[in-house]
Amino acid sequence: MRILPFRGRALGTLVTVVTLGASLPAAAQTLPNDPIVFGGGRVTIGGDVSATFSCADSDEVETGRCPGDGGFFNYTDYEHSALRMLRVGVTAAVKAGNRLSLLGELRSENAGTPQPYALYVRIRPWTSRAVDVQVGRVPPTFGAFARRTYPADNVVIGYPLAYQYLTSLRPDALPANADELLRMRGRGWRSNFSVGDTAPDRGLALVSAFRWDTGVQVHAANDFIDGAAAVTTGTLGNPLVGDDNAGKQVAGRIALRPTTGLIVGLSAARGPFLTRGASERAGAARGAGRFTQTGWGADLEFSRDYYLVRFETIVSDWRLPVINAPTIDLPLRAVSTLVEGRYKIRPGLYAAARLDHLGFSTITGSTRRDQWDAPVTRVELGGGFSLQRNLLLKLTFQHNTRAGGRVTRVNLGAAQIVFWL
Amino acid sequence: MKMESRSHEAHDASRVEVVSFRGLRVFVLMVVLVSCAVMFFTTDTSGARNGLIRGRVALRRAAPPAERRPTVAELGAPAERDRSDRRQSVVYLEAAPRGAFEQSEPGHAVMDQHNETFVPHLLAVTTGTIVAFPNSDRIYHNVFSLSKAARFDLGRYAVGRSKSLRFDRPGIVRVFCDIHSHMNAFILVFSHPFFAITDVEGRYRIDNVPPGNYNVIAWNEGLFSEPRPAAVPDGGATELDFVLR
Repeated sequence: MRILPFRGRALGTLVTVVTLGASLPAAAQTLPNDPIVFGGGRVTIGGDVSATFSCADSDEVETGRCPGDGGFFNYTDYEHSALRMLRVGVTAAVKAGNRLSLLGELRSENAGTPQPYALYVRIRPWTSRAVDVQVGRVPPTFGAFARRTYPADNVVIGYPLAYQYLTSLRPDALPANADELLRMRGRGWRSNFSVGDTAPDRGLALVSAFRWDTGVQVHAANDFIDGAAAVTTGTLGNPLVGDDNAGKQVAGRIALRPTTGLIVGLSAARGPFLTRGASERAGAARGAGRFTQTGWGADLEFSRDYYLVRFETIVSDWRLPVINAPTIDLPLRAVSTLVEGRYKIRPGLYAAARLDHLGFSTITGSTRRDQWDAPVTRVELGGGFSLQRNLLLKLTFQHNTRAGGRVTRVNLGAAQIVFWL
Repeated sequence: MKMESRSHEAHDASRVEVVSFRGLRVFVLMVVLVSCAVMFFTTDTSGARNGLIRGRVALRRAAPPAERRPTVAELGAPAERDRSDRRQSVVYLEAAPRGAFEQSEPGHAVMDQHNETFVPHLLAVTTGTIVAFPNSDRIYHNVFSLSKAARFDLGRYAVGRSKSLRFDRPGIVRVFCDIHSHMNAFILVFSHPFFAITDVEGRYRIDNVPPGNYNVIAWNEGLFSEPRPAAVPDGGATELDFVLR
C-alpha cells in the first residue's frame, strides 16, 4: 500500500478521534453462515428453516380474517398446505475417505415427527473420474425442480404444479369406469374410488417433491454433459421405501451445458405405480407390471447478469386396468408446463414470477366427454429481500384457476421467511 | 568616437557577463530556497523519523475453511475445489495521525474467483481502492455483499470476464457468491494506511508509522483482539505479538 507523507510530530500529535473500531463492526452478520463442520472436516451438518403463511381472498369455503386455500390448490394432502407450513430440515454428510460418503436429511413439517427424507451412501469407484453410485433413499433423477434445495432457488413461494398439485389418481384405488373418474375432477386432495382402498385419501402428483425414492442411482459428468440413471422402488408420483407391487422404476436424465449459464435437461422414467392390492381387486393381479406411470421431462435454464429464466415441461402417462364400461381411454395423460423468471433489482432484492399450467387428456363418460381431471393454471408474482446472506423474506401473490371442482378460483397472498446454513 | 564605441561595446559586453553571473546566483539561491521549503514541508520539523511495528499473530486454532453445505440433493459428488487459507490476519492501528487520511489516487487490488474459491481470501485496502473480481472458472459466479460498508451485487458473469468496484467506506465487507454458498471472503477497508496482512505464519510489519503512542488491534476471520498499546520510537521498531482464538 502507498504510504502517505507526514508533517512531523506536531501534526502527529493531532491524532484523530476517528477510530477503526467505530468503523469496523464487530460482526457483519448476526446469524451463523456456514455449515457446522467437525471430525476434521469429515462431518458436515447444514440445515434450513422456513415458515410460510398465506391468506386467501376466497370466501367461497372459508371465512374469517385470513381464510386459507379453500380450493386445496397448494395442499400436499388433505391436511397440509405448502403455503401454511413450518419446515425444519437438517442435512448431514459424513465422509469415510475419498470414495465413500453417507448423506441424509431429516425433515419435520409443522413440528411433526422428523422423517428421513434422504438417506443414502455415495460411492465414487474411481477417485479420478466424476462417476458416482448412490444407494438408498436417493435424490430424484427425473426433472430439475425437486433437487433444488438451496432455499433461495425456489424463486417464488409455491411449488410448481407438476411437483405438488394432487390429481385424482391414486396408487391404491381405481375408478371402475370413466364416469367415476370424471366425478373426481378437481378433488385430488381427497379422492376416492370404488375399487381397491375405498377410503378417501390424497391423489398423486405428477412428480413428488416431498418424498424421495429408494434404489440405486449412477451418475457421471464432465464440463459439458452429465447423465444419471436409477432403478428405484416407487414411481415419480409415489416414491417409496418399501415395494408395494414387485415392480421397479427405471429413470434417466441427461443435462447439457452448451455454454456457461445454459442448461438443457431431458428426463424419462417408467415404472408400475399401482399397488398389488389394487391390481388384485381389479382382477388384474398377473399384469400388475403393465399399470405404469411413464414420464418425460424437458427443462431449460438460462441466466446472465441479473436475470434467470427457467422452463420445464413434464408429460405423464398412467395406464390402469380396464374394469367396466364406459371404459377409460388410456393412457391417462397429464401435461404440465411452467415458465419462471427472477430479476435482481438491487443487492438483496429481487422480483420473480412463475406461470404454470397443468392439463389432462380427454376421456368419454356416459353423458359427457371431458378432461379426466380439471385443468389448473397458476400465476405467482412476488419477490424476495435478503435480510442477511442466508436469511430471506419472500412475499408473493398467487392466482389459481381450475376448470372444475367446487372452488374454481383462489387468490392468495403469501409470506415466507427462510434461513439456511 | 570609434574608441568610445569600442569601450561601450566592451562595457556592454562586461555587463552582459555580470548580468549572466547574477542570474546564475539568483537561480541557485531559488533552488536552495525551494529545496529548503520542500524539506520543511515534507520532513519532520522536529527531526523525528518514522518507525515500524512488527510482531506475530498466533492463532490457537485456525478457522476451518468453509465447507459446502451437504450435497444431499446432488446426483453425484461435486467437483473438487480449492480451500481458502484462513490463517492470515490483519493488524492495524486503531487510530491514526490525521495526515494518514490524505490520499490522492485510488489503489487497485484483485480478488479472483478460481476453483470455487475467492483468491485471496482476505484483502486489506484503503478507502477509494478499486477491486477487480475476475472469474477464472468455467462456471458462473455471482459476487455480492450485503455488508454495511459495501452493499453490491455484480451479477452472473462467465470465465474471462471481470467486474470492478470502488470501496469508499471503511469497514468489513463480507464477500459471497450467490451461486456457491461455500465461497466467501473478507475485504477490510481502512481510512488510513497503517495496517498489514500477516503471512501464513502470522508475521506482520507495519512500516512508516510516525513516532507516538498507538493502540493496535489484530483481526482474524471476524474475531478482534483487545486494543494493545504500542509506543513507536523515533526511527525505531516496536515488537507486538497477539494471540487470537
